[in-house]
Amino acid sequence: MSTLSLPQSSYIRDNSRTFTDWLKSWLLTVDHKRIAILYLLSINFFFLLGGLAATLVRVELITPQGDLMSSDVYNRAFTLHGVIMVFFFLIPSIPAVLGNFLVPLMLGARDLAFPRLNLLSWYLYMIGGLFALIAAVFGGVDTGWTFYTPFSSTYSNSNVVMTITGAFIMGFSSILTGLNFIVTIHKMRAPGLTWFRLPLFIWANYATSIIQILATPVLGIALLLVVVERLWGVGIYDPALGGDPLLFQHLFWFYSHPAVYIMILPAMGVISELISTFSRKRIFGYEFIAFSSIAIAILGFLVWGHHMFVSSQSVYAGLVFSFITMLVAIPSAIKVFNWTATLYKGSISYRTPMLYALGFIGLFVIGGLTGIFLGVTAVDLHVTDTYFVVAHFHYVMVGGTIMAYLGGIHFWWPKMTGRMYNETWGSIAALIIFVGFNMTFFPQFILGYLGMPRRYHVYPPEFQILHVMSTAGASILAIGFIVPLIYLGISLRKGAIAGDNPWGATGLEWKTSSPPPTFNFDKTPIVTEEAYAYPPEAAERDAAAWRPGSPL
Amino acid sequence: MAEQHAHAHAHHHGEKHTHISRGTYYRVFAALMVLMVLTVAAWWVEKNLLEIPGWLAVTIAMSIAIAKTVLIVLYFMHVKISSRMTQVYAAGAFVWLIILFVITMGDYVARGWPPQAGPLP
Ligand code: HEM
Ligand SMILES: [Cu+2]
Repeated sequence: MSTLSLPQSSYIRDNSRTFTDWLKSWLLTVDHKRIAILYLLSINFFFLLGGLAATLVRVELITPQGDLMSSDVYNRAFTLHGVIMVFFFLIPSIPAVLGNFLVPLMLGARDLAFPRLNLLSWYLYMIGGLFALIAAVFGGVDTGWTFYTPFSSTYSNSNVVMTITGAFIMGFSSILTGLNFIVTIHKMRAPGLTWFRLPLFIWANYATSIIQILATPVLGIALLLVVVERLWGVGIYDPALGGDPLLFQHLFWFYSHPAVYIMILPAMGVISELISTFSRKRIFGYEFIAFSSIAIAILGFLVWGHHMFVSSQSVYAGLVFSFITMLVAIPSAIKVFNWTATLYKGSISYRTPMLYALGFIGLFVIGGLTGIFLGVTAVDLHVTDTYFVVAHFHYVMVGGTIMAYLGGIHFWWPKMTGRMYNETWGSIAALIIFVGFNMTFFPQFILGYLGMPRRYHVYPPEFQILHVMSTAGASILAIGFIVPLIYLGISLRKGAIAGDNPWGATGLEWKTSSPPPTFNFDKTPIVTEEAYAYPPEAAERDAAAWRPGSPL
Repeated sequence: MAEQHAHAHAHHHGEKHTHISRGTYYRVFAALMVLMVLTVAAWWVEKNLLEIPGWLAVTIAMSIAIAKTVLIVLYFMHVKISSRMTQVYAAGAFVWLIILFVITMGDYVARGWPPQAGPLP
């Protein structure tokens, strides 16, 4: 392939004559790559909205008084932020965008197993999103993203039913993605691509898919029952009707703890790809990383009660959940150690995706370790429902998932678009995000430890300085998210032509043209070697060829 | 020629024979209707005729519900004639359901352990 021009035919180009034809060719496409682009655009739109809601929250918290909005509006602002970010950004983000684009490519397949279901999943996502947006426009919800009963089922006067319907519908989109991945990974691997030759991104998405199809239905039922109780007074959660409010928490966290792994596992898959490529080394401990994904998926189902330590759950159950929570940390730690060991004696190049990967490791360690704090019942009693928890989950969700999402977008950008982004701006943005992120969320650990409760907008004046720091950090973070929008946008027209494999990476997705043709490969590839098959001396050769001033 | 080959291949490929007859569907449907009548009857008997202890009532209701589920999963959802892999996944879903029930009930059963209020002595 020539590196002077984009390929003649690719999934992006088509020969539709009119605008409507063109629009149809996108909105009715069953090409996994086009669906990934649809998801990319819509998910980023929701990210922007969630970000706006976060801005409201952060601006309100600049002063100790509740002077920008009433408590009621504040409740709606943080709920909007949480619902959009969790259900409409983090859960679909990496699987629906990068997974959709890459799973068939990495497997050497023409498409996913069920292309039409894939399109349906995008439409369900959009319909669910529409419901959530309508609910927000007509007054919003004030329950928090957790929809705890009996507030959500009995007392709240906000648009609970509408929002829950949105989350319910979106759940099906998530299930369909998981189903598609599982069948595709089982059935459509290229000849020679055995399970232990699969890229770790595939293993991670496989584990994620298991969670998606086994946990999401439980969320669906839990939410549906809230609606049933609200609309028809059937006693499920309301003690006056013979129900139990705590049942909701059991059902909700049976989904939502595994759901945090829906967010982080694909992210870990991305990181494995990045670390290996930019160290020019085989990944260390391939099997351990692969199986730790599966272990996380399974163990993740057994720990949900750590969200309920102070909920009047029995003391005994609390102790059991606390113990099992400690076990979940083991497979997470295995991954971190293996990535670090991969770096050792690698020829590390600090390209933008690698900056995100290294940032991920550091931030995930902080987020994961504070999770262990919270898993200890005695500590959790002190910091539950404070900003300590808020800081913990932002370290894993923003510091983990969003860092990996951005790293992955940059890494596969040349494959998706055929063009390179501006490396200098890329590194600058990655650094801005890293600094802004820590400045936003590290003070929140301290705040929480000192006793600042979450979900309150009036607070004692002595907390103000930390809150102001946090808001200042959030502004830096926001700039860090806007800069990539600009230079990635510019690269679509002006970026250098990438060629098939700009990073010199292994993996089938780099063996086809950039952007790939509609059916991915002209000839079904045959796989004869393991993943990350960098020769033993690759890192040394790479290091020897390093020129001062060259980023790679 | 190629077409013929593909056809033969499809036949070999089906891990088991891949068909449930229309008659079977009707019989399963009839069985489901009978079970539904049983559900309503059990409720009616409990309400109007007999004092049934709670645990027994729940056991009866659950047994009928499980029978219905099994029929639907095996026949209407085709698990009976599906590949091993599909069956494993279907069974997996039930394992997960058991996890949900057992651990949740673990909490309910252990409410009030230890009996004294406040910190342990
Ligand atoms: C490394 C293992 C982890 C452990 C041991 C852990 C532990 C915990 C515990 C005990 C809580 C409850 C704190 C409380 O409410 O008092 C919690 C909250 C939370 N964690 Fe983690 N966590 C881990 C990883 C993660 C990951 C990877 C994510 C997401 C990507 C995550 C997201 C969350 C969220 C969203 C909450 C708060 C939910 C809410 O109440 O709104 N955690 N974590
Ligand atoms: Cu959790």
